[in-house]
Amino acid sequence: MASDPMSVNSSARELPAPPGSGADEPKFGGYTRFELELEFVQALGNPLYLNHLASRKLLSNPAFVAYLDYLQYWSRPPYLKYLTYPGPTLKNLQLLQQEKFRQDIISPDLVERLRMEGMKAGIDWHKESFPSTA
Amino acid sequence: MDKYLDTRFERVEKALATFIDSIAKYNPSEKLAEDLVAADRELAAGLKELERHQNNHARILQLRQETASLDQQTKDIIGGLWNMRKEVKTTPATNYPAAGPKYKFTTHELLNYAKRISRTTLPPAHLIIDGSESEKQAVGVGGQPMELDSAAPTPMPGGATAAGTPAASAAPTPAASGPVTTTTALFSQPPLAPSANQTALPDDFKPHINLLTGYQFHPWPTEDKVRMGGMAAYQSLVSRAVDPRGYDPEEEERRKREEEEARKEAEERAIREREEEERKMREERERMARERERARREEAERSGSISGPAGGTGAPTVASGAGGGGRSQFTFLDGMDDDDDDDED
Repeated sequence: MASDPMSVNSSARELPAPPGSGADEPKFGGYTRFELELEFVQALGNPLYLNHLASRKLLSNPAFVAYLDYLQYWSRPPYLKYLTYPGPTLKNLQLLQQEKFRQDIISPDLVERLRMEGMKAGIDWHKESFPSTA
Repeated sequence: MDKYLDTRFERVEKALATFIDSIAKYNPSEKLAEDLVAADRELAAGLKELERHQNNHARILQLRQETASLDQQTKDIIGGLWNMRKEVKTTPATNYPAAGPKYKFTTHELLNYAKRISRTTLPPAHLIIDGSESEKQAVGVGGQPMELDSAAPTPMPGGATAAGTPAASAAPTPAASGPVTTTTALFSQPPLAPSANQTALPDDFKPHINLLTGYQFHPWPTEDKVRMGGMAAYQSLVSRAVDPRGYDPEEEERRKREEEEARKEAEERAIREREEEERKMREERERMARERERARREEAERSGSISGPAGGTGAPTVASGAGGGGRSQFTFLDGMDDDDDDDED
């Protein structure tokens, strides 16, 4: 979605205020920066979306890489508790910090493997913790 | 101890020998016999001593054994302690990060969070229980990944995303072919096939009545969700050449609604004013009519009392009547004029 040409300066330096802080946040298209970045960082959990970003050559854009680095604030409180897909979101955010992963995610095979393994893990982790139901 | 006893024995033997000698020489003496008795008594005491000695010896042996066993026990305990210490030292303990800020949270918050993410991190029960089956289905035949999702990503108009990838775009084909084949099989069968168990559904039907057939659990936001979110709204604003910064659709909507209401209100006010004006005009007209009526009556009475007999003053009556009518009409016009003036004011 974010297809605008970006500059390094466009990455925000200040973290967005979490909801309930009482601050009157400026809105972008009706959404606060917090809402948009939360949505984006969670969309990164979807391997297909990562592939889409790679196909738009965004993952090789230094500004975008800097933005990905900036987004790591989601792995810390108080932002952490707003993630509704915590596992894949944080894992992919971590992987995206690696140059090699950013290059390799363009491959459909890798995307498919990530997708299948992610879905399998989504079912299996529960079975491991409750072996009686398996 | 042996020497102690030996001397006593020797003494007894010697006393006995001298005593026997003395008897053999036929010269027994009382003193020798007493010596022998004393020697024998001493020997008995020595034997008692020996018994005590032996007892003591046994006791010493027993004590030694006891000491040895206690030593062994002590050694065992110390060895056990040593092993325990080694084990304790080698046990991997939880390493708490020493540095870094700590965040407090309450159990309530934790449970709330768990409740909120349970829908997005936990697959429905049937996927967990028949997990092996669904996995088989998900992996597909020949290890080729196959999309089961019947709601496969449909390319949206204008969405120039190639995120579909070959796998996703090829997905609808197998998904669509499934139902088609089953329906043809259905039609080819007689509708009331004689079956032993009428209550059991044929296997072909089962996927159709199961609402969760082909359901796939994604532990991440699906493409549909991404397309419906705020980023999509942002993108659509950008593509409509609207600057999203500070643009709030709700705010805009509210502003439009307010403008609309203001316009309506103005219209209603105008209508009300016009009605008011008409009402005033009507009242004025009625008032004028009443005055005219009264004037005419007074005129008639006056003319009647002045003229006296009818006929003689017919002409003046008519003239005055005509004049009255003219006046009244004039008055009415005056009224109208006044009214208009008022309006203009």
